[in-house]
Amino acid sequence: MPEWMIELADISKRYGNTLANDHINLRILKGELMTLLGPSGCGKTTTLRCITGQVIPDEGRVFIDSIDVTDIPTHRRELGMVFQNFALFPHMSVYDNVGFPLMIRGLPQEKRHELVLETLRLIRMEGYAQQYPRQLSGGQQQRVGLARALAYHPKVLLLDEPLSNLDAKLREEMRFEIRDLISRLGITAVYVTHDQAEALAIADRVAVMNAGRIEQIGTPDEIYQSPRSRFVADFIGLSNFVRGRVVSLQQGYAIVQADDLQPRPAVRPAHDGERGEGLLVPAEEGIQEGQELLVFIRPNDVNLLPIGSERARNTYTGQIHKLTYLGDKIDYRVLVGEGVHIRVQTDGKVRFHEGEEVKVQLPESCCRVIKE
Amino acid sequence: MNLARQYWRGLANGKKIIGYTFLWSFFLWIAAPFFIIFLKSLGRNWFGKRWLPPELTLDWYRWAVTVANIPRVLSNTLIIAALAVAVSTLIALPTGWALGRRRVPGKELLTSIILLPRMIPPIAYALGIAQIFYRLRLVDTHLGVAIAHVAVCAPYAILVLSSTFEALDERVLEASAVCGASHLRTFFHVTLPLVLPGILSSIIFTFTTSYNEFTLTLMTYGPHTMTLPVRTYLAVGEGYWEVTSAMSIILVIPSLLVLFMIQRQVEPEKLVGGFKGV
Repeated sequence: MPEWMIELADISKRYGNTLANDHINLRILKGELMTLLGPSGCGKTTTLRCITGQVIPDEGRVFIDSIDVTDIPTHRRELGMVFQNFALFPHMSVYDNVGFPLMIRGLPQEKRHELVLETLRLIRMEGYAQQYPRQLSGGQQQRVGLARALAYHPKVLLLDEPLSNLDAKLREEMRFEIRDLISRLGITAVYVTHDQAEALAIADRVAVMNAGRIEQIGTPDEIYQSPRSRFVADFIGLSNFVRGRVVSLQQGYAIVQADDLQPRPAVRPAHDGERGEGLLVPAEEGIQEGQELLVFIRPNDVNLLPIGSERARNTYTGQIHKLTYLGDKIDYRVLVGEGVHIRVQTDGKVRFHEGEEVKVQLPESCCRVIKE
Repeated sequence: MNLARQYWRGLANGKKIIGYTFLWSFFLWIAAPFFIIFLKSLGRNWFGKRWLPPELTLDWYRWAVTVANIPRVLSNTLIIAALAVAVSTLIALPTGWALGRRRVPGKELLTSIILLPRMIPPIAYALGIAQIFYRLRLVDTHLGVAIAHVAVCAPYAILVLSSTFEALDERVLEASAVCGASHLRTFFHVTLPLVLPGILSSIIFTFTTSYNEFTLTLMTYGPHTMTLPVRTYLAVGEGYWEVTSAMSIILVIPSLLVLFMIQRQVEPEKLVGGFKGV
């Protein structure tokens, strides 16, 4: 029996005409860092606020450490939270900010002092105890926010886009600092962000959300390699989508007829007679013949081959439409078949030119199938 | 090249000289009347022929205190100001909260209407107020005069407080709740300390406005509720310049005291200028 620290059971919340959360079911393990990832307005902040109690769901129950907290107000849920705009108490020093949750809970003075200093040491800001938030930089303020959230060792730490107000370089540094801190303390954490690189970098598991629903939950690897919907595939990393129909199935693989990739016979003579072979892709159970689906492959998994290379599986003729030099890689847009643009990223060891005819190979091991 | 630089520096210095000249001229222009009144209140037989009064005396102050009954007048002024502050603040607190933190339809229009009493010269509506007060028997009562003052005191109180409450960050209150503080404890530990400066600022402004209010007092006062501004005005009519000067100085001193006290806490620019973002 896995130990769930947080459980959201069928949570729904409506604001006027908008369904911010639509039957959300989420379970977070003890000690896990789960990221809620999605575009603005997808409902991730609403979900977080259902956990904190700032939002009362219209339907569903919230459990923290197996206790039904749905009817328990925020201040009795024993949580720690870090805010996007830091939300430090401007009229209190760093010391008093960090000590606030301890003071509110009636801890004796000595114990408070000890815990505040310990927490300040954890975030490496012992020297700033008597300073006020307005005297600190953004990064420092956020560290204090973190300290205040952790000071009394809550069971759960919630982070609402904590790094969005910091500049890019600082964001990257603090990302790992936060991850490290959370791991060391063994605390369960829910981290809301719209930055997919951030979400993948620090999470144990990611919940991708869109329009009030959870599209997919999985490890960063699963989310990246095996997205289960077009939205997830598109939201995470770069992707190519090809529409097609299953013409046959064999042993875990399917042949997909992708008409868009085929050239029109009158316009361009087909090379190597590949027409009619279809795409070979790995197929899960439940795929049926005649089914319409999307084939998806990441640009850096697509191979570009010179036009004269030998016939191979999943290879199509195309023409380089545009290329962009990115330093460590080259980004090509290749026009294939009936006006399908396949995006390819290569390490630049073999170079092609704009307008050049090439072969585009979609290796079957890298293709994924998404039901629309 | 050097010549050009010297020329620019000279010009900058020139700007400084002109600037300081204007500044000091302006200061003298404002301060001179006070200075003259101050001297007048302490001088005997000073009819403007010499720079300083020939004799110094406190007689005029004594007169003000005994004959003109200034202490009574002063206490009236203070009582009325205190009442005006109380009523204005009572009105301004919920109004400011609503305007600062809620979506109110027609907010700009409402704000303009609230400011109206300060845009129109009080004499325009003072007569109307007086007529109603007569009927309500509020004339010559401390409360009556105070309520009349509220017309000019409340607008700024509302503006200051709505600005204060608007600046209160919702997230900070949420943070307090997450840290374990109930609504009540959040109020005392977080909300109150954060809005107190704004409330104090509003009180001080309201107090000074009521203390200095003349027109509305003129239309609603009576023998029991004579205030200092009105008394000073009447003294001018009586022709005793020296006593009038003494009264003026007495009138000014509390305001000056308040100004010095609050100078550190509240930026005077905020009181006089705009409110949002200043």
